[in-house]
Amino acid sequence: MLPGVVGLIQATEVIKLILENGVPLKGRLLLYDAMKMNFKEVRVRKDPECALCGKHPTVTELIDYREFCDIQLPGTAVQEEFDEDSFELSPLEFKTALDQDPAAVLVDVREQYEWDICYIDGARLLPTSSFDPATSGLDKETPIYLYCYKGQRSMTALKELWNAGYKNLKNLKGGIDLWAEEVDPDMPQY
Amino acid sequence: MTLNNEEINRYSRHLTLPEVGMGGQLKLKEAKILMIGAGGLGSPLGMYLGAVGIGKLGLVDFDVVDHTNLHRQIAHAASDEGRPKVHSLCDTILAGNSNIEVEVHNIRLERENVLELFGQYDIIADGSDNFETRYLINDAAYFTKKPLVSASIFRFQGQITIFDPESGGPCYRCLYSEPPPAALVPS
Repeated sequence: MLPGVVGLIQATEVIKLILENGVPLKGRLLLYDAMKMNFKEVRVRKDPECALCGKHPTVTELIDYREFCDIQLPGTAVQEEFDEDSFELSPLEFKTALDQDPAAVLVDVREQYEWDICYIDGARLLPTSSFDPATSGLDKETPIYLYCYKGQRSMTALKELWNAGYKNLKNLKGGIDLWAEEVDPDMPQY
Repeated sequence: MTLNNEEINRYSRHLTLPEVGMGGQLKLKEAKILMIGAGGLGSPLGMYLGAVGIGKLGLVDFDVVDHTNLHRQIAHAASDEGRPKVHSLCDTILAGNSNIEVEVHNIRLERENVLELFGQYDIIADGSDNFETRYLINDAAYFTKKPLVSASIFRFQGQITIFDPESGGPCYRCLYSEPPPAALVPS
């Protein structure tokens, strides 16, 4: 329902601009919080140093926005020598390997609210929001099979484990979402 | 430009409001609004702008209706699953008011097509869902001198403002000079 409220405020502002009537939401940022059910207003001033509309603009034509938005956090830059593909298993390969490896530990790195929707039988929940190899309780000698929703968060956790000295690691390619499609048709998708 | 008798009857509650009146209704009919996004924000935005009698509405979205959209993107019906969102939204708008013109752009907004598209409209309404597109829209609105009515939502919170540097106001970059690091962007 949130987009309904916000979309209609947006529509109201469009109409006021056309009618040139009322006080438009220019230079004011309206913040709506549905849980607290309140509105706050923050003044937004023109930045004289703005790269686009400031006094000395550096953006004078359209740029490559994909590159502009692809900012990496320090320390998370992709390591060239790390071959992600070598850890990836398709859902069927993942299931087969898991079934043939009774010592293996299956780790779900999604959050609790996702676990509550569905999970793979036998998995342990270790959410990425608080994931730390040092306190994970995982054994370095034991094969560890990781999965998340689509396979990206579990790959991030896999790299952390790798850097912490864990070497026997597998990642479910496509996550539980693809698992539901290719291995377990009774599992709900979200 | 005038209103026909059906339109006068349809918009009569506007026409009797002094703040709108015949002059205001004709301004609405002359207006050309470009909406980016035909999803959660675009559904109510498009349905109301269509109902009030905006003359020309442009809809931009490259996506198709998915089952997981239905609970919040109210312009799309279950029978629209798999259809381009712009077509589904267009049908919903025209079902309510066939007096207006709806132009569908079933495309991804890119720097190669954005300036030409913005040039055909008076006001841009941004209901997109990613930072790349937001910066692209902001810069293109600045270069084409179009006011930008911007809305965004995340979880249980929403933000709305108007960026109009042409009239002395700030732009999106004045508020957010840099995008958040990629790793912190929710997917």
